[in-house]
Amino acid sequence: MTALLSTQPDTVIGELELSLMTTDRVEHSATDTAAADKRRQFEEQALPFMDQLFGAAMRMTRNPSDAADLVQETFVKAFQAFGQYQQGTNLKAWLYRIQTNTFINIYRKNQRNPYQGTIDELEDWQLGGAESVTQSVSTRSAEAEAIDHLPDSAVKDALQSIPEDFRLAVYFADVEGFSYQEIADIMKTPVGTVMSRLHRGRRLLRELLADYARDRTPATPASSRSKK
Amino acid sequence: MTDCGCEKAKAELEEYLDRELNEADFQDVSDHLDNCESCSSEHLVALALKLKVKQACRETAPEDLRSAILSKLADA
Repeated sequence: MTALLSTQPDTVIGELELSLMTTDRVEHSATDTAAADKRRQFEEQALPFMDQLFGAAMRMTRNPSDAADLVQETFVKAFQAFGQYQQGTNLKAWLYRIQTNTFINIYRKNQRNPYQGTIDELEDWQLGGAESVTQSVSTRSAEAEAIDHLPDSAVKDALQSIPEDFRLAVYFADVEGFSYQEIADIMKTPVGTVMSRLHRGRRLLRELLADYARDRTPATPASSRSKK
Repeated sequence: MTDCGCEKAKAELEEYLDRELNEADFQDVSDHLDNCESCSSEHLVALALKLKVKQACRETAPEDLRSAILSKLADA
């Protein structure tokens, strides 16, 4: 993954590089100080998001080693483009946009997803998922209770098994708390598509987790808490 | 609203969950949920799922990632 990352063209910052280059080659020591200041500022502001970006990278790449590579590459690209970042705007969303771009442009190319490009056009019946309209109040209460008691690993497994665009939309909304508009900016898609991805992703998740809970339902309710 | 409010609430439940509704719509759905067991149980499932996903996905980066990034930035 590291090799792949470093040999790919710099699609994220592309046009930004030109303007960065013009700031080079000024007076030497002044440039050094300015560069050090810029790096310190970037580190102070951006590095606190490292764990969060790693969490998202885990959901993107599905393994810790690729996730670490992706986060590193994200920080390098973000640092190179930091001159273009407007202080006071949403740095977290800006970093996520870079990471998502990097992931899509580089990583996804090597990991053909058969759904790619068509997932948003699939009809609901083709996706399957929970049909909640027919559920009773008590069934839903039991479902909420069951969700509460699920082990984290079951939730992560379920997330990994739904289509990537749905997974990322759910992740950005539920884990990162981004607004629909912010998710739309990060995923470069209209807000309506974000809402559809969220809705479908959650429906699929709910169905998968209901299956999981059903399969693991213990004989007595008392022992359900020890299922970890 | 001419119906019992379920139709509007069901349509907006997800935006309600994600705090995407304007104040008036948010209040409408909120009022409806107070009085409708069916919709509020549906909302509670969605809320349980949202909170569960958030909790399950907490990750901590590997210990050496920070230093790896810092050394890459120094070279950048």
